[in-house]
Amino acid sequence: MQTNRTLPARMLPNRSRTSVLVFLLPPLLLYGAAVLFPILQSLFLSFFSWNGISEMEFVGLDNYVRMFIADDIFWRAFLNALAYLAICLVLQLGGALVVASLLTSLTRGRELIKTLYLLPAVISTVAIAFLFVRIYSIEPVGLLNQLLHWIGLGSLERPWLSDVNTVLAAVSAPEGWRFTGLYMLIIYAALIAVPKDLEEAAVLDGAGRWTLFAKIRFPYIRPVWITTTIMATTYGLRGFDIPYLMTNGGPGQSSELLTTYMYKTAFTSTDFGYASTISVFIVIECLAAVGLILFLLKRKADA
Amino acid sequence: MITQTAPAPSALVPPTPAATRRRRRPDLFRTLSRVLIMLIVIVQVYPLAWLFLTSLRTEQDFATGDPFALPSSLTWENYAKAFETGDLGRNILNSFVVTMGANILIVLLGMMAAYAIQVLGFRLSRLVRGLFLIGIIVPVQIALVPLFIDYSAVNLLDTYQSMIIPLAGFSLPMSVYLFCSFYEYIPKETYEAASLDGAGPYRIFGLITLPLSLNTVVTVVLVNSIFIWNDFIFANTFVLSEELKTIPLGLQNYIGAMGKVDWTATFAAVCVTITPLLLVFLVLNKAMIQGLESGATKG
Repeated sequence: MQTNRTLPARMLPNRSRTSVLVFLLPPLLLYGAAVLFPILQSLFLSFFSWNGISEMEFVGLDNYVRMFIADDIFWRAFLNALAYLAICLVLQLGGALVVASLLTSLTRGRELIKTLYLLPAVISTVAIAFLFVRIYSIEPVGLLNQLLHWIGLGSLERPWLSDVNTVLAAVSAPEGWRFTGLYMLIIYAALIAVPKDLEEAAVLDGAGRWTLFAKIRFPYIRPVWITTTIMATTYGLRGFDIPYLMTNGGPGQSSELLTTYMYKTAFTSTDFGYASTISVFIVIECLAAVGLILFLLKRKADA
Repeated sequence: MITQTAPAPSALVPPTPAATRRRRRPDLFRTLSRVLIMLIVIVQVYPLAWLFLTSLRTEQDFATGDPFALPSSLTWENYAKAFETGDLGRNILNSFVVTMGANILIVLLGMMAAYAIQVLGFRLSRLVRGLFLIGIIVPVQIALVPLFIDYSAVNLLDTYQSMIIPLAGFSLPMSVYLFCSFYEYIPKETYEAASLDGAGPYRIFGLITLPLSLNTVVTVVLVNSIFIWNDFIFANTFVLSEELKTIPLGLQNYIGAMGKVDWTATFAAVCVTITPLLLVFLVLNKAMIQGLESGATKG
C-alpha cells in the first residue's frame, strides 16, 4: 500500500527492476543520442573555436561576446526571426481561430472544408518553396502580381523576393499558409466541445456573437489555445526550410533568420563553435518564449 | 412592407424578442461567413490546383500566358521530362525506407517507454516524462552540428541511419505522450487478472498492451509520417550521394546550373512526389485529422 502511494503510476503488482530497465533503456538510448546528448554537445562546443579539422581551441565566452556585441548579422537575423514569427502567428493562429469559429456556424460540408484546409500541410517544404517562387515572380508574371494587376493595384506589382522591403514577409507567408489548417483543426475540435447549454444560456441572456465568443467560448478553449500558441511559436522559431530554399537569407541579409544564419555558419563557413553558440541561443529563445506564453496566458486566466 | 413580411413566418409561434432578433441577423452573418470560408479555402487549395495545371502546360504556354488562364493545350510531356531529369523512383523509394524505419522506431520505442512510465512505474518516471518534453520544445537545428560531428566520427554520414536517428529521436516524445495517455485508460484489473495467471511484464506487454495499442499506433504513424516524409533539413545536412537522396533533396536537382529551372517539368516532378502522401491523406483523412487533434491536445 505504501509503495503504491509513492509510485502512483504502477499498475503491475509484481515487476522486477530489470524489466523497467529493459523497457526504458532502448527509447532513452535513442532519445539521448539524437536529442539530449547533442544539446549538451552544442553547449560544450559553444565555448570553443573549431573548424572541424584543426585542433579545437577553448575560447571561453568569446563566442558569446562576439555574438552579442560584435555581430550585426546576428542581431539582424534575430529581429528578422521575430518578424517571421509574428507573421506566422497572425496567419496561423488568427486564421485558425477565424476559420474554426466560422466553421462551427456551418451546417454542411465541415469535413470537406477541414480536409481541403489542411491540404497544404502534407506538401513538402521544397515543393512549397518552388510553388511560391512562381507565385511571387514577375517575369513571367506570377499569380500574385497578376492578381494585383486585376484588382487595380498594379502599382504594387514587384519582384517580391528580390525587393528588400518585401522579401521577409514573402518568405514568412508560405509557412503561415502551410500550417494554418493544422491549428484550425485543433481549435475547431476545442470549440465544438464547448457545452451547448452554456452557449444557449448566454444567448438567452441576450449575449451577442462577440460576447458569446469573448465570455463563453474563448475562456473555455483557453487551455487548448495555450497549447496551440506554444506549438505555433516553437515551430515559428525553428522555421528554416522555406526561407533557406527560396532566398537563402538574401538579398543581402534581408531574409536571414537565426536558423539560416546558424546553418550557413556551420556548413558554409564551417565555424562549428560559433554556430553552436547561435544554436544555444535559439534553444534559450524557445524556452524563454514558452515560459513567457505560459506566464502571460495563465496569469490572464487567473485574473 | 418589408418589415411586415419578415416576422410573418414566426407569427405562428408566439414570438419572443430574442427569437426574432436571432432569426434575421444570422442570415446575413451566415452568408458572409460562407463567402469568407469559401475565399479562404480557395486561397488554401487554388495554389495546389494551379501547380497541377501548370505541370500539364507546354513550356511556351507557361512562359507567355496569363498564369490564371487554363492551359491552351494539355501535355504529359513534362512528366516524361521529369522522370528523365531526376531519379524520382529512387527518391520515392528512399523516402519510403526512411519513413518506415523512423516509424518502426517511434512506435516500438514509444510504446516501450510509455509502458515503463505508465504501466510498470518507477520512482523517476516524472523526471523521464519531463526529459521527453525537452524534445518537443527544442528546435531540431540544435542537433545538426553535433550529429554531423558524431556521424563523421563513427562513419554514419551519408547513410539511411543518419536521417532515421534524429527524425525518430525528435518524434519520440509525442509518441511517448500519446501512448502514455492511452495506457492510462487500460483498467488496472486487466493487468491484475493477467498477473494472477502468472504472466510477467514481458508477456503482459506482448499479449495485452501491444494488441490494445493498435489504434494509437495508427495515429502516431500518420501524424509523424507527414513530418518525416517531408523532412528536408536532416537529409540536406547528412546525405550527399545521389543514391540516398529522399524526395525533398531529389526535387532540388531540378534547379539547373545558374539557377535556370525548367518549371513545367519541375512542377510535374513535384506532382509526382506529393502524390503518395496526398493519396494516403485523402483516403485516411478522418483518422489523420483525429490524430492531429489528439496529438496536439495531449502532447
